[in-house]
Amino acid sequence: MIEFERFTLTNGLKVLFHKDITTPMAVVNILYDVGARDESEEKTGFAHLFEHLMFGGSINIPEFDTPLQRAGGENNAFTSNDITNYYDILPAQNLDTALWLESDRMLSLAFTPKSMEVQRQVVIEEFKQRYLNQPYGDVWLQLRPLAYKKHPYKWATIGKDIKHIEDAEMDDVRSFFDKYYHPGNAIMCIAGNFELEDIQKKVEYWFGSIPGKLKPARIIPSEPEQKKYGELTLERKVPADAFYYAFKMSHRKSLDYYITDLISDALGREKSSRLYVRLKKELNLVTEISAYITGSLDEGLLMVSGKLNDGVSFEEVDQEIWKLLGEFTSELISEKELNRLNIKIRTAREFQDQGLLSRAMNLCYFELLGDAAGINEDLEVYNSITPEHLKEIGKKILKKQNCSVLRIKKEK
Amino acid sequence: MDRTKAPDLVEISSISLVEPAKRKEFPVPFYTMDQIPNSTSRIELYFNAGSIKGKVGLASVVSGLLLSGTDKMSSTEIHSAIDDLGGFHDVSLGHESVVVSLYGLNDKLYQIIRLYCESLINVTFYENEIQELKRDRKQRLKINLEKVSFLAQREFSKYLFHDSLYGRIIEEEDYEGITRDEIVDFHRQYYLSGLFKIVLVGDFDEEQIVKIQDVLLPICNHQERDFEKKLNNQKGKYHFEKAGALQTAIRIGRVLFNRKHEDYIDFLILNTILGEYFGSRLMSNLREDKGYTYGIGSMLSEFHETGYFLIATEVGKEHANNAIQEIENEIIRLQKEFVSDEELDLVRNYMLGQLLKSADGPYSMTDLCVGIYSFDLSVDFYDKYLHKIKTISPQRLQELAKKYLNWEDLTIVSAG
Repeated sequence: MIEFERFTLTNGLKVLFHKDITTPMAVVNILYDVGARDESEEKTGFAHLFEHLMFGGSINIPEFDTPLQRAGGENNAFTSNDITNYYDILPAQNLDTALWLESDRMLSLAFTPKSMEVQRQVVIEEFKQRYLNQPYGDVWLQLRPLAYKKHPYKWATIGKDIKHIEDAEMDDVRSFFDKYYHPGNAIMCIAGNFELEDIQKKVEYWFGSIPGKLKPARIIPSEPEQKKYGELTLERKVPADAFYYAFKMSHRKSLDYYITDLISDALGREKSSRLYVRLKKELNLVTEISAYITGSLDEGLLMVSGKLNDGVSFEEVDQEIWKLLGEFTSELISEKELNRLNIKIRTAREFQDQGLLSRAMNLCYFELLGDAAGINEDLEVYNSITPEHLKEIGKKILKKQNCSVLRIKKEK
Repeated sequence: MDRTKAPDLVEISSISLVEPAKRKEFPVPFYTMDQIPNSTSRIELYFNAGSIKGKVGLASVVSGLLLSGTDKMSSTEIHSAIDDLGGFHDVSLGHESVVVSLYGLNDKLYQIIRLYCESLINVTFYENEIQELKRDRKQRLKINLEKVSFLAQREFSKYLFHDSLYGRIIEEEDYEGITRDEIVDFHRQYYLSGLFKIVLVGDFDEEQIVKIQDVLLPICNHQERDFEKKLNNQKGKYHFEKAGALQTAIRIGRVLFNRKHEDYIDFLILNTILGEYFGSRLMSNLREDKGYTYGIGSMLSEFHETGYFLIATEVGKEHANNAIQEIENEIIRLQKEFVSDEELDLVRNYMLGQLLKSADGPYSMTDLCVGIYSFDLSVDFYDKYLHKIKTISPQRLQELAKKYLNWEDLTIVSAG
């Protein structure tokens, strides 16, 4: 059970407090409800570029990192298609330093043209390092527009094209800040060995005077139901043929999400999973294969991906995958197999909950979903799922017209 | 309120360490930590089966076959049984050892250990499993060779551990030459009597620990472990061309020492200033000022008898020469100028905060302590560490930079 308290400032900032008396450290985690899905198609990669600029100095403080490091702390951030999340970890006695820094950059940014230019370069190098200069690196840049036709999930967080980053202007960045970076669009969690009253006082002191704004309405195109199987084969300079099957699945708040998560585990999480055992161990068709979900807030993807053994054709593998999926959706899985999936989830969760940062981050995420208390309820949801659920949702999802396939073929 | 003024800071004066207990009358070191507020547990089994043992590639192949099946159970049956217990496992191959880590809820861990160890002890090394692993490894090697970071690291190892078992690297054809007999021999020598250290974290009582001991006792190590005492890096600058690469990977370093050396802690402070944290000189210059890279870092890595220093980064191809020049400039600056009090103060606090963090929670605390015992040191090492961080002078840092960071003494490798 992860305990927490919740309060809201008059400017709209939602605050969660998680007390842990065993740790000498403190975590301040702030989730801003903005991600790559909020970008316009002509200016992609912005939410992420912006995350970099959040370290370039705020209205009263020239630089973010130095004072935090001086307080014995460290910090980082990540941007996804859904959210942007910032965190600071520091010795508990210096909590004020993190609140001072975070509140000032929520108040207003003051980055310079130089920091804009440098971070633009850094992000371009990140683009190259992660997406262009790696074998199979551009898979998600290619797969997203294949699987999504309307929804902004059709571009990757890093951006659709390096050019969007090259062309970004200061004004674009300023208006992005004004729209999304304010108390009403943020959820903060403070974790550590503190008392609630002290936390309330401190948060009011540092964040209370930041002007409130209305939370921006999210109007993004929803993805029309997929009607047609899609496929794309690309030739690349890679040593092995690789395949990526993407099946549309439900949004995060639906029970179907949890069911689909279990389906992906049954198909390809571990070396005891169905695809692994059949396609790798029994048929020797692949060198690796796995299944997982993207975990998106809006309609996400269940993925099956892997690499071919030398001398094996895409057709052979395709046939076996569909055959196996057909079997999965026409029979009920055993209680034994279902228990196996559940105990893995429960064990992984226990380990994950060990970390203070992980708890703080998850509390914010569940609060975004609607209620931080969800963090203590989702294992129950997994446990309530039956073999019938898996069959029913499997039938709905694991079919050709709901699938897009990307194949990366080695150049001759 | 004045937002331009930073809140007052409270310095970290000490860290409190809870040490793991050491089992009495067990043939190899066996540490246990039971101060844990939840039901998670972990055991780490250290085998004398690192990559310096046997012919090149053999250690890697054997480490990948530990669960490949016995007379009674196939590989899939073993994995299914571990998954039924909710167990997670991981094998990590180093130069000097292999660490098998098993994770699970504490009411399941004993069964997971027993199942894993029975599988490891009775492994049959089926020919088809060997062929499958070799094939997968070859494919993975081919994919890795497409990455400039992998290429640079691999070539760097060759020059850094020049002329020693530590500098051997696997080529595709090496896998072909490995026979089943060699695998069986290696397994017998380095696993069946190769377990040299055990670390258990979790809420277990004496009876449970004794049961775990019984499983592990038959495979304990009785041999003397031998290590290279002295390594020599081949100095100089080496480039490896990779057609079409957009980035160049750079590795710069030299052989140095481990924590048993008197200069170790002081050098660690110098290393932090140079490249160990986000605000370091290398990050500030190459990323935050010039935008050459997404990241750059430096580190000190340890072996049983020695260690090495490393700077690693990937930069845009067009920036490669400038990046190497800037790295040299930063090193020269450490040799020529004193570190300012302000910067030193910042690094002190940062390192104290990191130490506090690395002692947070039973797992981290155990790792921190066991890391010390491995070198036959006691935890007063951390008192010394704290003291040195608080008292080191700019003069001393300059002296170390002059002694250990001469550009001519370094191995510089780039790939791209």
